Amino acid sequence: MPQDNLHEIKGNKNRLAPVTPDSLTGVPRQQTNPSRWSGSGWDAFVAELNSAGVNISQSSAARSIYITDGGGVAMGLPRGVLVARSSENVSKTLKAAQKHRVPVTVRGGGLTTEGECVSYGGLQLDMRGMSRVLHIDSANMTVRAEAGIYWHSLAEALRRQGLDYLSAPLNMTSSVGGTLGVGGIDINSPKFGCSADQAISLKVVTPTGYIVECSEQVNPELFEQVLLGYGQFGVITEATLKIRPFTPIRMHYFYYSSLKESIEDLRFLVEEEIADYAGILTMLDRAINLLVAFDSDEREQEFFSRYRSRLRGHGEIGFTLRMAAHYALHPWKVKEALYLLERKRALLPELSPSAHMQDNKMVDRTVVFSRAVWKFWGGRQMVIPDLATSREKFARAVERGNAVCRRYFPNYTLYCVGIRLFGSRPRYELSCIPPDAQDFAYGCEFEPILGDHYYSRDHLQSFKNEIYDIGVDMGTSYYRFGGMMKGYIRRVFNNELVDKHLRIKQEADPAMILNPDVIF
Amino acid sequence: MTAPNGIREVDVLISGASLSSAAAAKRLVDSGLEVVALERYALPRHKTCSGIISPRGHRFLIENFGPLPKEILYEPTSCRGVTFHFRGMIQMPMDFDHGTTPHLDRMYSDHWAIKRSKVEVHDKTRLIGIEDRGTHVEVLARRNKEDIRYRTRVVIGADGPNSQTVRCLYPEYRKQINWFTVAQYLHEIIECPLDPEYFHFWFHPVLGYYTWSHERNNRQIVGVGYKAGERLSHRHRMTIEYLAKHYGVKLEPGDERQAVVNNFGLSLINRYVFGKGNVIITGQAAGFLNMIGEGMSCALHSGAIAGEAVAESLHRNTGLQSVYRLMIASEVKRCSDQWNPIKIIFGRPHEADFRGALSNLTARDKRKVIIEILKFLYPWGGYNWGRQMVTQALLRELRGYYLPSRWL
Repeated sequence: MPQDNLHEIKGNKNRLAPVTPDSLTGVPRQQTNPSRWSGSGWDAFVAELNSAGVNISQSSAARSIYITDGGGVAMGLPRGVLVARSSENVSKTLKAAQKHRVPVTVRGGGLTTEGECVSYGGLQLDMRGMSRVLHIDSANMTVRAEAGIYWHSLAEALRRQGLDYLSAPLNMTSSVGGTLGVGGIDINSPKFGCSADQAISLKVVTPTGYIVECSEQVNPELFEQVLLGYGQFGVITEATLKIRPFTPIRMHYFYYSSLKESIEDLRFLVEEEIADYAGILTMLDRAINLLVAFDSDEREQEFFSRYRSRLRGHGEIGFTLRMAAHYALHPWKVKEALYLLERKRALLPELSPSAHMQDNKMVDRTVVFSRAVWKFWGGRQMVIPDLATSREKFARAVERGNAVCRRYFPNYTLYCVGIRLFGSRPRYELSCIPPDAQDFAYGCEFEPILGDHYYSRDHLQSFKNEIYDIGVDMGTSYYRFGGMMKGYIRRVFNNELVDKHLRIKQEADPAMILNPDVIF
Repeated sequence: MTAPNGIREVDVLISGASLSSAAAAKRLVDSGLEVVALERYALPRHKTCSGIISPRGHRFLIENFGPLPKEILYEPTSCRGVTFHFRGMIQMPMDFDHGTTPHLDRMYSDHWAIKRSKVEVHDKTRLIGIEDRGTHVEVLARRNKEDIRYRTRVVIGADGPNSQTVRCLYPEYRKQINWFTVAQYLHEIIECPLDPEYFHFWFHPVLGYYTWSHERNNRQIVGVGYKAGERLSHRHRMTIEYLAKHYGVKLEPGDERQAVVNNFGLSLINRYVFGKGNVIITGQAAGFLNMIGEGMSCALHSGAIAGEAVAESLHRNTGLQSVYRLMIASEVKRCSDQWNPIKIIFGRPHEADFRGALSNLTARDKRKVIIEILKFLYPWGGYNWGRQMVTQALLRELRGYYLPSRWL
């Protein structure tokens, strides 16, 4: 905090008071809602970039579209916007930003939920100006693309050659760079791991403005820092990713009345590597959907012949009959039954739209799921706190989180997936991958169905705090621990680890200008 | 921006420079709006307040304004909880959830928060009149007998119980609600066996509606509250005698008296006032006051919600009143739940464990406590709040929220 402030107030020596050590037990004395940057040095920064041929837009119209992120809770207005066009122009920008100490907040699809990509008065660097596919190598099964590209657009380009990316978040507007920076989870993460694990090499502009190519072989330290690095150690401008042959998928849905059973079955599918895609989506506490899908007919047949009988979930007809019986015996729950019926009527056809189906197989899963996500779970904002745990803690964490959801919102969905891990890679440190997870990690998003209702930030924040408090209590991690939730970083990871990363950050970014207020 | 005719044009004008103003300003300034806060006194200014903030309010301060500097705290710098006292010397100490809370010196804490919000403050400037023109609001203020004019898109009234904004908007409102006076007297301590780590509150209908004591900077505060217009010195003298007789508290005569008028009772009966058109009201001006008179945490949160609603409305072109009223529902719930008898009996609306403390008493003392609380409610009967409270509590149970139709 500005030290002079308090001299002004009382004229004596400023001391920070933790009040007493037992006050707000465990909550660090840390401001988590950043203050707007004062703007000192801005004009010189803009002038320098202008003379170097990099033009910053400062018009109100250009800036105002960046007012918030996908979470819709944090609001901040940048002083200026730069739409990135090349690594060189990002490099010039960061060099000038270091010199003039101007905060730079990078944004791809803008789908953070805690204001991580919201700029509080600094420069907004919009990476979507770099969105070309540069080279598809079908012999080595790799693709090189600029990092501001949406996964959806990348899939479109790959599809023309019968190819596909490995895994990416299921929505239309997350960008490659942003996803590699945080992880990226898909329902095929049990097979391929998080999206960041499909990166082969990256072009990174470091916080001091150097353009560096890195991979596991070349500059491996930087490579590991940038992947799941929450944008702290560089701006990814290009990425080479693994790809695979495109396959339409065959989806199957199994229905449960018990969260615990569905989670046990998900773990079984994940750990025995039975399905190519698996995930849980709940509709009500006693109406839970386990999605299972396969890339090939052989895998599908093998599942039905060997494993189906071991799953406790019901098919659609069986489950409908059971639910009908349940509500016949519990007529006072008629509202719940109607909600379920409406959900079934509206949602299920959306998951197999004829335009995206061929021979009963889904050909565009990104499009189908993204549409469904926005249509049924989206609204004016996304509130999706999560818990990422080891296999042992998962069921308990989900149950506890579910109980919190019940107290805060009339309707909500839980989205659970497994994530394959590849040993103990340095990139997993201080990330959403829980430190105690081995081979597989599990994640659950708690998603209230907000529709277009306005809730206060405090209501949403209290809900998120309660979910994250479970994580502190159980020793898990989170996918969304930056931005306004950064107060939890030191609570779930030990100080030593956080300070280690802080030292690396300070060395890489002396003026601490790249994506400030996200982690540290 | 100042227009050639000398009228200052801003996005948002906030009346007041206290905690709710700082919270609203924080949200608005962060979102890039041009905001001015008007304060009628010179800053830092005195404010009569116990200074005990709830843990939730403490967390808000840290998360939004940073760690608290020592200079904004009184000694003792923290408070462990609240002790309820009943006749028959029954005591119920209740610790706050999550540990101790700070003991704020409102003169400096409010100034610190408003500075940290980075809002432009015009102090020594009194709000005089508001004219809502539909597309904008024209505001008249006065500094050193000189008129100052502002043109703003929105006005936030965060100017406390005796709100000038409310007066401008609803000239008759003052006559429609009940007013109370609360005064705290500061005494040098000769001997005080009351635990300095706690805020002490007496359920004693004769002493006053609101009787409390706690230590501040090596002096003891003895406070009393009663109907506006009544002489408080009599109640204060009775309290001093009562404390001396029953608790062995020996104090020098009070050497400083701080009094304030209060719009107490609105949160009990869900009668908040939130404004109209381009003007919204927040904090205690709107009627927010937690049980045990703690108003800071709901002032901070309601202020922040006012700021969020205005930012939402201005940046995304949505209806201000409807957004604010939808968003504020969560704070209404938190605040009115604290007074709601059903929530008190079956839930846990406070940030201290009342039911736990009650269960520590013997069966006989429990009975006595309940009878004493009922007796304490008796003198409030004249306000006709009982029926309204029960109706609101039942409707809250049935619908899950407090009826917005009762808000002004």
